Amino acid sequence: MQLYATFESNIFLELALSQLEQKGIHKENIFAVPLDNRTEKRRVFDSIHRADGISLIDIGVALATAFSVVGISIGFKLAWGPIFWGLISAFTGFALGFAIKLFIVFFVEKRKRVLIGKHSEVILIIDCEETQSELVEEILWNHFALGVAKIK
Amino acid sequence: MDNYTNDNTARRYIAHVSIFGTTQIHLRNPYIIAWWSAAFPGFGHLLLSKYIRGFVLFIWEVIVNLNANINLGIIYSFQGDIEKVIQVLDTRWLLLYMPVYLFAIWDSYRTTVDMNKVFILADRENHRFNTFSIGALEINYLDKRNPLLAVVWSLCVPGLGQLYIHRIGVAFYVIIWTIIFFYFSHILEAIPFLFLGEIDKATSLVKPEWLLFLPSVYGFSLFDSYMNTVENNKLFEKEQRDFLQKNYQHSKFTLLKGKKVK
Repeated sequence: MQLYATFESNIFLELALSQLEQKGIHKENIFAVPLDNRTEKRRVFDSIHRADGISLIDIGVALATAFSVVGISIGFKLAWGPIFWGLISAFTGFALGFAIKLFIVFFVEKRKRVLIGKHSEVILIIDCEETQSELVEEILWNHFALGVAKIK
Repeated sequence: MDNYTNDNTARRYIAHVSIFGTTQIHLRNPYIIAWWSAAFPGFGHLLLSKYIRGFVLFIWEVIVNLNANINLGIIYSFQGDIEKVIQVLDTRWLLLYMPVYLFAIWDSYRTTVDMNKVFILADRENHRFNTFSIGALEINYLDKRNPLLAVVWSLCVPGLGQLYIHRIGVAFYVIIWTIIFFYFSHILEAIPFLFLGEIDKATSLVKPEWLLFLPSVYGFSLFDSYMNTVENNKLFEKEQRDFLQKNYQHSKFTLLKGKKVK
């Protein structure tokens, strides 16, 4: 009997594996296939100008800092003072930067967009006796398997 | 104690996990790194995990900026009061500022471009590295954490986001400087007056030359903790995939061609 399960790549997966081994399933009878995500082919000249994964807030935080320095400076002369103007300008800067980035991601780089490697998944195949299958299935579900199937 | 004793046989490594934190080489945007060096010399290098030069440039910035009155000059410039700018800048210090300021920007940009190439080579080489470290004073290991929580903690007090993801050096450095900037800018004394609606009183209390350091410290702390949480998560996944492929792909394993049962 074989059980198929899919997992997200996290520490629960390793907990499940160690518990299966503790219950007498041998390492040789477990087959793990980490799936590749859809990714862009890495190109030296493009990739040095991009840090993938951090893309959405980078311009926002940078503009928030810049705007708030201006906001604080001018705020000393304005009715609401430097602290309120500093905060207002920081939020404005962040919103603007975030909007710019969203625009770039959704319109300018539309054709280059790929799935970001957030939910990388793993397929597990476990070979076991029919009597063990209930136990194995329970262990898999208890460790947050995304899906489980039994083959006989 | 580590789970792997490095034998220094790799040409390049992508990460180092020690009890002081997880140090990683990963792809970074050189313009963003250069921007943080421009916001506050030293921050660009801290983002690159080049701590010693980051710390030194940071201290240099605080000393020279305060003595040359650069921050006051910035404030009066934005207010359009050029007379006052000229009056306030201290020429005994001023010319010292520019060369090192530009060096910090240029050097962090150059280093990022170089290290991105190093990353690609190290990533392809894929040499094993230590992933678990336990000692008398700390425990550090590869793990998945939530980038949003890192941002939230950094918003409370800059440096806490770094502490959340175990970047101990930067965490304490940023926390200590945050306390110094809070104390000398008198901002916390001004905040109660803001709640009471006495804005003029609050404005007169704060020291502008110290207040102007805070936006960069907050921005850096947010960005640094967010970026590193994301990269640490990616490193965890990469390492786990290698582990699975090494341990759970036995050549004798055969697939059963049966039917799916309930």
